[in-house]
Amino acid sequence: MAIDLILNGKAVALDAPPAGRLIDALRDHAGLTSVKEGCGEGECGSCTVLVDGEPVCSCLTLAGQVAGAKVETVEGLARGPDRPLVDAVVEAAGVQCGYCTPGVILAAKALLDAHETPTRNDIKTALSGNLCRCTGYHRLIDAVDKAATARRRLAGDAG
Amino acid sequence: MTADRSRRRAAKRPPAARRATPRRKTHSRPDPLPTVVGKSPRRVDAGAKASGTARYTADLSFANLLVGYPVTSRFTHARIRRIDVSAARRVPGVVAVLTAEDVPGQNQIGVVIADQPLLAHDLIRSAADRVALIAALTREAALAAARLVVVEAEPLPLVCDPVAALEPSAPLLHPRGNLAAKMVIRTGDYAKARAKAPIVLEQTFTTGHQEHAYLEPNAVVAVPDAGGMFLTGSMQCPFYVQKGVARVLGLSHAQIRVVQAPTGGGFGGKEDYPSEPAACAAVLAHHTGRPVRILYNRSEDIAWSSKRHRTVIKHTLLADRDGKLVGLKATIYVDAGAYLGLSSVVAERANASAGGPYRIPNVEVDTLTAYTNNPFGGAYRGFGQPQVTFALESQLDALARELGADPIELRLKNFLRQGSRTVTDEVLRQPPLAARTAVEARDRSRWAAKRRAAETHNAADPDRRHGVGVASMLYGCCLHAGGQHLEGSAALVQIHPDASVSIAIGASEIGQGAYTAMAMLAAEALGFAYDQIHVVPTDTALVPDSGPTVASRTTIMSGNAVLDAARTLGARLRPVAAELCGVAESDVVLQAGAVWARGKQAALSIAELVTAAYLRKVNLAHTGWYAPPKKLWDKATGRGQPYSLYCYGTLVAEVSVDTITGLVTVQRVTAVHDVGKAIYGDGVIGQIHGGIVQGLGYATMERLAVADGKILNPTFTDYLIPTALDVPEIDIGLIEEPYERGPYGAKGIGEPALIPVAAAIANAVSHALGFPLQDLPLSPERVKLGWEAHRSPAAAAP
Repeated sequence: MAIDLILNGKAVALDAPPAGRLIDALRDHAGLTSVKEGCGEGECGSCTVLVDGEPVCSCLTLAGQVAGAKVETVEGLARGPDRPLVDAVVEAAGVQCGYCTPGVILAAKALLDAHETPTRNDIKTALSGNLCRCTGYHRLIDAVDKAATARRRLAGDAG
Repeated sequence: MTADRSRRRAAKRPPAARRATPRRKTHSRPDPLPTVVGKSPRRVDAGAKASGTARYTADLSFANLLVGYPVTSRFTHARIRRIDVSAARRVPGVVAVLTAEDVPGQNQIGVVIADQPLLAHDLIRSAADRVALIAALTREAALAAARLVVVEAEPLPLVCDPVAALEPSAPLLHPRGNLAAKMVIRTGDYAKARAKAPIVLEQTFTTGHQEHAYLEPNAVVAVPDAGGMFLTGSMQCPFYVQKGVARVLGLSHAQIRVVQAPTGGGFGGKEDYPSEPAACAAVLAHHTGRPVRILYNRSEDIAWSSKRHRTVIKHTLLADRDGKLVGLKATIYVDAGAYLGLSSVVAERANASAGGPYRIPNVEVDTLTAYTNNPFGGAYRGFGQPQVTFALESQLDALARELGADPIELRLKNFLRQGSRTVTDEVLRQPPLAARTAVEARDRSRWAAKRRAAETHNAADPDRRHGVGVASMLYGCCLHAGGQHLEGSAALVQIHPDASVSIAIGASEIGQGAYTAMAMLAAEALGFAYDQIHVVPTDTALVPDSGPTVASRTTIMSGNAVLDAARTLGARLRPVAAELCGVAESDVVLQAGAVWARGKQAALSIAELVTAAYLRKVNLAHTGWYAPPKKLWDKATGRGQPYSLYCYGTLVAEVSVDTITGLVTVQRVTAVHDVGKAIYGDGVIGQIHGGIVQGLGYATMERLAVADGKILNPTFTDYLIPTALDVPEIDIGLIEEPYERGPYGAKGIGEPALIPVAAAIANAVSHALGFPLQDLPLSPERVKLGWEAHRSPAAAAP
């Protein structure tokens, strides 16, 4: 039984066990290996994906739960309006070992989609479900701050 | 403005990349100053990591791949009577279940001495001891089989305290006794100094285990390959894995090829430990003839991998009434766990660093490494130094309190100076920069004003108290003299016919930015553009054994090897350039992605030069090498030169302490480090940020709960590490005095970034509360109980 969903903007029928974990469905059945397993119990946030725009731990989500939903991973951000966020994380030196990075970017995207002008504290709160052991978070917070500014500028240009 | 920000503003884009486009001939050659080094270009690996295209070990595909699983037992210390794997072998999907007798080579994985079987056969000495290995089609089948492995054993008494372990009555873990290693320092005449000293401060300190908590758990794949074995995985030290696997398989080093996969953090945790899962995977792959991957889940990783050593430190500091240090006696008990691993090497650093950056003429240090049934002590960023730094820096603050002196002024009085003798009796040739770091940290942090403000605030006796504390550090960079035979490092630099360059180094990229720093050094030394340089994954088949990626040594050792190779290749390209430009060789320079003849940019591009050299059959690849001069050091007295160079640093921490809950909040940290020369600016800042936050976790929240040798909290639910909401404001000052043997003057920064953090925070908490603290971590329970005992000592007295 396939699970129908919109995965990174495309309608797909994912041939994965609905009672299995979403992380396994995405990694093993859709080849989306940016979704990282760091703890398997919803504490580290490395497996964060967006389900209908909300960040969720894909290790705590059943694959069947996303039937009919819109699911996003960083593979879907390489081109398109969220590219500046990815670039900001790279340019602000927010990447070290890189294992937490995709999850952090998705948590940040959820924040920026919901808040045009987040404060530094909003950013910290939004990233607080994503553990990073390398960067001490400062450059990640800077990156999200910069991405927010870049988005506003883009929105301003468009308007 | 922080140094951090000003640095970034100065160098947003890689200048080398900008200069990649050919210049007009009329342009003058840029200054002979570095054009790439010292800047912050885009990391070589960041794009792939951020877009999800970097392939970590769990992301790789292999045909016929099996899942490997090491089986442990319910025992912590026991004599094995029988291991029965027959039921496990019958589980559907199980391909192999192996025990000690199936190890084809030596059943041994100890990295320094041979005290650790890969698979236990007679004794179980720790909860992490493996009794069997399983290869199966799925993890579910492997786990089902693991549950059916029967271990019958006779429990033995546990040894869970490193001090008690060394008492004559303690049960022995190994035939030669529980004293796994002993290091000493004997300088001056401590007994005489003790008899005369007007001030004698005695305290006993304890520090807990720390879990590395890298985000990627251990992961490795072994693939049988033409009679040998190919391995790739998450690791810091591919050459350690190569040696470890060769030994268990009974093969030569040349038959084992190890390629490091992108590695999701190490911090020392992937120094020696990955050799264990790698050896397990290799034995299973050897038996099944199929690729075998071992992926730990988080609980397995925490339960089985190494930890920062728990220590007990009995410390006596002697001083005169002017606050001058006259003596130090320390007995440092290092809890190795059940096997030596790298504990003796960690102990060597703890021992040599016990005197910090201070002049102390009479010293007696004994560092005793004890076997216990506790979790395995291993390499962890700082390598024994955060513990001894915490003890010494706490004692200095106790001395300041005793004298009514300012803690920074007291340190300034005692810092090593040019020509001073260290506690290991080494005469310092390089200028000791401890005082400069302390003065800058004092001024940047507005130390005096902040201390006064905290004291004024606390005078009203609020529940939420403020404190400001300091700690200084001396860090012996690169390997200790005891391990100097491992120091030689290689780098292969290869210029391709299209003028792109690939470099391979012997050290690994574990997130610290090593590959980026190496690409920058290669670009600088070759004179090529930064974006022409590509770094290939570290591969034992490409470069000679370059020792481990540890001890903040990569920039210096691999960096110098890269420079050696690049300069050799430059010397091969220059005659060709001279011939084509029609000038003397001495008039030709390659720099910033262009060829310069007599100070003007030549019509010849680098690409044309490389093509011309290729057509002339010039060898455009070279393996560079660097090894530092020999260090003389005497193990019996601990005297001599333990390290090639020293890095200095001072941290000021500002905290608030809630005395109702015991919660410590670190508000602000000022960190000043002597880095020689920051090669990759963002990398240096990133190391300092990360080190501070990891040290903050160690100081205030990371408590590994261990009972009867078993870890009770092997999850991120119960073992807490800092989140984005826990980070303090950070101000960084860099002191750049070039180190004569460092590439462009660089020293190391990875470990210095963490070493003084817990000590500074503890001193700040002590300033807030008004009494000394002897135990790390400063968990809320401890702080609250300490505060209550301090407020009503009678009630707390036994």
